[in-house]
Amino acid sequence: MELFIQQVINGLSLGGIYALIALGYTMVYGIIELINFAHGDVYTLGSFFSIAIIGLLDASGRLHGVPLLLVLAVALAGSMILCGIVGVLLERLAYRRLRNAPRLAPLITAIGASFILENIMQLWRGPSPIPFPSVVPNVTWHFGGVNLSSNEVLVVVMALFLMAVLQIFIYNTRLGKAMRATAQDRDAAQLMGININMTIALTFFIGSALAGVGGFVSGIYYGSTWFYNGFEAGLKAFTAAVLGGIGNVAGAMLGGFVIGMVESLTAGFISDQWATVAVFLLLVLVLIFRPSGLLGEVLPDKV
Amino acid sequence: MSRRSLARFVALAAILSMFGTSAAFTPAQAADQVIKIGVDLPVSGADASDGIPTQNGVTLAVEEANTHAPKGFKFEVDALDDAVGGVHNPQQGATNIRSLAADPAVMGVVGPFNSNVAAAEIPVSNESGLPLISPSNTNPTLTKTAKYRTAHPDVITYFRVCATDDVQGKAGAEFAKTLGLKKVYVIDDNETYGLGLANVFEKDFKEMGGSVLGHDHITANQQDFKALLTKVASTHPDAVYYGGTTSTGGGLVRQQMASAGMDPTKVKYVGGDGISDEEFIKVASDAANNSYYTVAAPNAAKSASAQSFIKAYKAKFHSDIGAYSANGYVAAQVIIAAAEKTIKQNGGKAPARAQVLKNIQNTSGFKSIIGTFGFDKNGDTTSPVIALWTIKDGKQDFVHQINVSAK
Amino acid sequence: MLHWKKYRPIDWALVAIAVFMPFLPLVDHNGGHINVLVNAGIYMMLAIGLNIVVGFAGLLDLGYAAFFAIGSYTYAMVASPQFGLHFSFWPMVLISAFVAAIFGVILGAPTLRLRGDYLAIVTLGFGEIVPQTFLNLAKYTGGPNGISAIDQPKLFGYHFGLNPLPYYYLVLVLIAFSLIVANNLRTSRLGRAWMAIREDEIAAAHMGINTTTAKLAAFSLGASFSGLSGVVNASLLTLVSPDQFKFNVSITVLSMLVLGGMGSLPGVVVGSALLSILNFFILPQASNLAATVGLHIDFTSYRFMLYGIILVAVMLFKPEGLWGSEQRRAELKESDITKAENAEYEEMPRETV
Repeated sequence: MELFIQQVINGLSLGGIYALIALGYTMVYGIIELINFAHGDVYTLGSFFSIAIIGLLDASGRLHGVPLLLVLAVALAGSMILCGIVGVLLERLAYRRLRNAPRLAPLITAIGASFILENIMQLWRGPSPIPFPSVVPNVTWHFGGVNLSSNEVLVVVMALFLMAVLQIFIYNTRLGKAMRATAQDRDAAQLMGININMTIALTFFIGSALAGVGGFVSGIYYGSTWFYNGFEAGLKAFTAAVLGGIGNVAGAMLGGFVIGMVESLTAGFISDQWATVAVFLLLVLVLIFRPSGLLGEVLPDKV
Repeated sequence: MSRRSLARFVALAAILSMFGTSAAFTPAQAADQVIKIGVDLPVSGADASDGIPTQNGVTLAVEEANTHAPKGFKFEVDALDDAVGGVHNPQQGATNIRSLAADPAVMGVVGPFNSNVAAAEIPVSNESGLPLISPSNTNPTLTKTAKYRTAHPDVITYFRVCATDDVQGKAGAEFAKTLGLKKVYVIDDNETYGLGLANVFEKDFKEMGGSVLGHDHITANQQDFKALLTKVASTHPDAVYYGGTTSTGGGLVRQQMASAGMDPTKVKYVGGDGISDEEFIKVASDAANNSYYTVAAPNAAKSASAQSFIKAYKAKFHSDIGAYSANGYVAAQVIIAAAEKTIKQNGGKAPARAQVLKNIQNTSGFKSIIGTFGFDKNGDTTSPVIALWTIKDGKQDFVHQINVSAK
Repeated sequence: MLHWKKYRPIDWALVAIAVFMPFLPLVDHNGGHINVLVNAGIYMMLAIGLNIVVGFAGLLDLGYAAFFAIGSYTYAMVASPQFGLHFSFWPMVLISAFVAAIFGVILGAPTLRLRGDYLAIVTLGFGEIVPQTFLNLAKYTGGPNGISAIDQPKLFGYHFGLNPLPYYYLVLVLIAFSLIVANNLRTSRLGRAWMAIREDEIAAAHMGINTTTAKLAAFSLGASFSGLSGVVNASLLTLVSPDQFKFNVSITVLSMLVLGGMGSLPGVVVGSALLSILNFFILPQASNLAATVGLHIDFTSYRFMLYGIILVAVMLFKPEGLWGSEQRRAELKESDITKAENAEYEEMPRETV
């Protein structure tokens, strides 16, 4: 039982990271119906940016208290902003021209963009795993036979907090309203005076910034990253978004946690070598039997 | 010409250039007749840290041979990369061996580095009669069964100068015993090398009275091993044995042990030569300490005859030798010696590949910086040495080495 | 139907190269080069097959390597010491193609009602699951070691052995055969049905086309070509292992299609030839060249950067590819019709952000 609870904790923290990535997928898909294949790589870039910023500010490697918090805050903010910019650039350079083309066209450019980002990261830091500076002390609490670490709490709290903020933003601000309007009917929204290009760019910015948070948090949680991380993480996060009902923020979060659990429990109780297969099998089954996801409405087929 | 047909023209020109490139391979005629030593190693991407130090060893051997080459002859290195996208690739390896076999000046090849690449190359080598000497392939089935010698099952064209996993796994098991380990959990990366090594370790460790708490295969190149390690921690092992390489997860598994509830200062980590690279220390960071590993090659620094090699290597490449640099150097020396012997037998005339192969097969009592050895009937070295290493204070530290040929 | 006027000198040059190919080994005796050309030919067959799915029917399949794996393993299991079976090569070419086609149907049947981009992701998932399953089922597939010592073909008493030359001719024949089949398919009733589906699935359904059957046919026919290439690949390499069928194989083949022109047979040939030249000749040479001047840049490890650039640049600036069909060009260009269609689509009620 203790082992089961421990694996659930593992699954939730892994799921929290998937959820942070899934939010970006779901927002972008919600507004322009594009699977932003490069999104997983933006997440990895988040880790890379964080490593670079921490390295820049904390060359000595031994900071405590307020200065440490400051450095982390700058790294997090920097990672969010830089990832956001990458997201906006992606949309501007690779997707905008194809907004009215058949849907396969932007999907293919998205795959291409994903490869380009991966290779840029490989050029930047080489092909091997890169250690994330272990600046954050990881405190472990013991509850009977179950261990809970501060990093695990950090991941889950961060994911839930950002989902809540995003939910409030989308439903309670003018910009959020503009995003919803654009998602529902682009032309009508334009007629109502909404700047479509700005709104879509904003969506990419927010989604990518959230991936930046994911990259930062996962760097702290795992203590390392490498250029190819985003491929599988992105695919699993997309699975999470679909599972929750694409376009649905709460659904992406729920999907993330479910996928994290499926992976951890398969690895923990069946075998690690089947964990990935289990996740992708779930993806295939969900898409076949409930393409609208757990919390999504049934979508009409493509016309 | 419109833009459209211009594009088509460019496409065609490129296709035509294919024939151009294939014709451009004819070597320039030099005064001395060239004898080529082929090299097939992964020298790009993540695997470059394996391949490049080994290839440097070959380069050094060839340069030294040229200082006293038989009259009228010159040795040259013809190096090909078997990595595709930064990872060793069996298809590319087989293609490389085919290319080298097509060049009559190539008398033998040093390589490959990885066992699964060897599985694709041995059939080509066996069929074409091109000798292959691997510095590092440790999978036992490559030599001990005839299944890869498809064309001529009883002709040996593939040799190696390193010990095999059955002895390496066994040495690892003995090592684990001497470290006082009783309960070990085995993890492997589910690749040819890692799985093979882990299986041998498990079998031998059990036979020596140790208990193996479990054996799991990971999916290579993932980030999250916490779920698996949580399961491992719940069995309370003295150590985790890892069969595999750093790049498939060896470093991350060690590094994540702490967060799964295994204190790396208490739970030891034992592995094979797959974690013998500097990369492992970088990735596992603080947790790298208290790790132990076997290497299927002697510690060249311990051998008096190797000192000049180490010095020459450092002077030329400005770095320390890698785990298999000396093996690459010696493998090249074996081919060179066989070629020189053939030239002598021919009365100063050019050697034929079949003759060189014969002389390689008959290698015995060969004095080298990794000891005196020959090849047995399968093509394995008669003097396999296993070195044992540990990581202390973030540095690789030599423990001792054993010659396992007597066993 | 040949319209002679349509062909320009550039087209004739392509034909001239094709005619020259069988005589190439007379000029170039290097077995290594022939081996490279065989590998390139195997990729070309894969591209011809994927073109049926992606180019003709407009279904984006990102897991095409899975069918290649299935074809390779099918032959490997019955023609190697793995189970002690040694079936003859020639019938196995057809049987493996058939097995791959069946898997095409098995995967296709439940997924084809999905929208285009969801289908792409499901096929991607399938492409990840298949090699991992081959890896995990070690008892039957040899796990990471794969299956080795696979049999080589015999023809009228002539044993192919490992000499690449007979494979070269075999691949040439198979490519010619594949091109003829693909071309006949394109102009057949089925081919026109695919085209209609690609352009407007709902309209196609209203015209009385059974879209499900047509899409299934595309999936299984496309898969059968990769089964064919798989058998040739397995017998020449004598080894199949799960790491040969990763996502990068699917992407390489897709890049060939996009570069040459989706839906155009000459485009597929040119696209796959170009990328193979790049892969096998130019990139390795570039690294060697850099090494001679003391630069250790490995161009081959950045080949996927190049694929990425090809995918993005071609879709943005020349979506019909270097040698695309006029028709596809018209479809892929932004038009008033697609705009209207999109607008209509946007009206559909759905969950918002």
